[in-house]
Formats: sequence, structure tokens, C-alpha cells
Amino acid sequence: MKKIDLEAAVGFFLLIGIFSLGYISVKMGKLEVIGSKGYTVYAEFEQAGGIKPGADVQIAGVTVGRVSGIRLDKNYEALVSIQIDDGVRLQEDAIASIKTSGLIGEKFVQISPGASEKYIPAGGRIRETESAIDIESVISKYIFGKI
Amino acid sequence: MKKILCGAVCVVFIFCLSLAPGAVPTACAGDATDQIRETADAVIALLNNKELKKPENKLKRRKQLREIVDKRFDFAEMAKRSLGPEWNRRAPEEKKEFVSLFSDLLENTYIRKIERYEHEKVIYTGERVEGSYAAVRTKVVTDQGVEIPVEYRIFKKGTKWEVYDIIIEGVSLVNNYRSQFSSIINSDTYAGLVKKLKEKVKKESE
Repeated sequence: MKKIDLEAAVGFFLLIGIFSLGYISVKMGKLEVIGSKGYTVYAEFEQAGGIKPGADVQIAGVTVGRVSGIRLDKNYEALVSIQIDDGVRLQEDAIASIKTSGLIGEKFVQISPGASEKYIPAGGRIRETESAIDIESVISKYIFGKI
Repeated sequence: MKKILCGAVCVVFIFCLSLAPGAVPTACAGDATDQIRETADAVIALLNNKELKKPENKLKRRKQLREIVDKRFDFAEMAKRSLGPEWNRRAPEEKKEFVSLFSDLLENTYIRKIERYEHEKVIYTGERVEGSYAAVRTKVVTDQGVEIPVEYRIFKKGTKWEVYDIIIEGVSLVNNYRSQFSSIINSDTYAGLVKKLKEKVKKESE
């Protein structure tokens, strides 16, 4: 009888452990287990500069969504799909740019709202984009450019 | 019969092959590029005009330069986009005033910079058209051989393409002003922004 109690307790704690581990990995990995809310829009960047799925999408520093996927499109440009929270509407002339937090921090997508009366529908595209700036190439251009 | 069919397939195949480079965005030049090229050529021709280079003709040259640029750039749209969400909160007169201030600001900062150019060359590297919007990619090559990528974002107005944003070295002009304007409006007011712009325009046109 006592032995069974001990085994049951160990099993119980083990289960709690596994559950917590699962919870932490879902939380930390920003995985969505049960469907995700919000709607998807697309943005094409000439240079995605190492942005990854799960990266934040911000307006005025507030996270309003996240990057849900990146792939190469037929023009050899990066097609980034972005999940935007319901209730946040993007004007047609909103500009999406890839920024780095700090000098070497992680990449995120910043959206600056526009003035248009038209809004981007679900599945629509953010036409105005600014690629990630490759500081190295800019610097080298002005260093090595002069002959 | 088989031979004819085979020949036809060959012709189609060769035709496709010859079209293939056209499918690459860097190779084709369309209506949008032609119109941008027309304006750029006019600007270059004006800048290289020896008669207008004389100091006494400076104002005349600037006026002509602005006329050429005015035809191709939609300053009202640029101003609207640069102001962002604040634009819709403004009265029609305020919008009008802002557009005129903004185009003066651009004139002071950019047209005066262009005035100094002489030996720069423009290379057209491609265009992309999507409905009534398009992007024309160019490279400005300075006489030191530095290539500066410049992309014109244009939209169709009737048969004319007009510029609403310029992206230089990956940085959007509209987005640059949009973030500056919104931070001024947030820390100050819209009136404060207009005052600042007026001061800047006045200071630079002296």
C-alpha cells in the first residue's frame, strides 16, 4: 500500500514536470497551440536581413502582431507574412520597415501608420516597405568607393 | 505533318527563350521607366546647360528645375503620406498650407543638392508595375564611381506616372519625415510642427 502511494506521488510530480516543461517551451518559443487570433497581411522586402518567424511587429513601440513566416518569392525577394491583432487596422500607405533593437539586438518589423482612408484587408499586402539596412555595405561603399 | 509540328514547337521554344531575359525585372523597361527617364534626362540637360550655369542665371535655373520636378512629383501626396494619421485630423486649409510648406522644404533640401551635380550618371536597373502603382529602380553613379541606389515609388494619374516616395539607399524619404513629424507632434503640437517647418524653410531660403 505504502509503495503504491510513493510511486503515485513520483508519477504525479513527473506529470507536473512534463506539463510545466511543455508550457515553458510553448511560451518561450512563442508557439501557438490552439489557432492564432488576428489576420494575416503580407509584405515584400528586398532584403529581409535575418528576420525570423515569431519576431515582433510594432507600431509606436507597441507589439501589435508577429511575423508568422518568411519565404522567397518569384522575384527573389523576401515575402514576409505578418499576423496582426484584430482591432489594429493598417492604412494602405502604412510603411513596414525592418529594424534592429539597439545596435546588435534582435530584428523586428516596425509599421508606421499612414494617412490613407483605405485599409489593408486580411490577406492584403503592405505595399510600402523599407528593407533592413546593411550597415556594413553602406560603410564599405563610402570607404572603398573613393579611388 | 510531324515536321511542321516539330518546327512550330522549335519556334515557340526559341521565342520563349528570347523572352526569358525580359521576364527578369532588371531587363525590361516600360512606360514607368520611360517617364522617369524623361524627367531625369531633362534635369541633367538643364544642369549641363552652360548658359544657365552662370551665377547671374542661378535663380532662373532653380525655377526651371523646380518646374521640371513639379511635373513629375506629387508633392500633395508626399506631404499627406509624410504627415501620417495626423493628416486626417487637419482642416482643408491646414492641409493646403502644409503641402506648400512641405514642397518648399523639399525644394530647399533636395533641389539645392541636385544643383551641385554635374557628372552624375543614372542607370536604370529595373521596374515593377502592380496595377496603378510601380517602382522604378535606378542607380546614381557619382564621378568617383560610388553607386547610390535610388528607387522611385510612383502611381498612375491618368496616363502620367507621378512620384510619391523616393527610397535612397534603402531609406524612404516619406518614412523619414513621417517619424520626425510624428515625434514633433507628440512632444509639441501640430502648430509647433508648422512653426518649425516655417522657420526651417525661411532660414534655408535666405
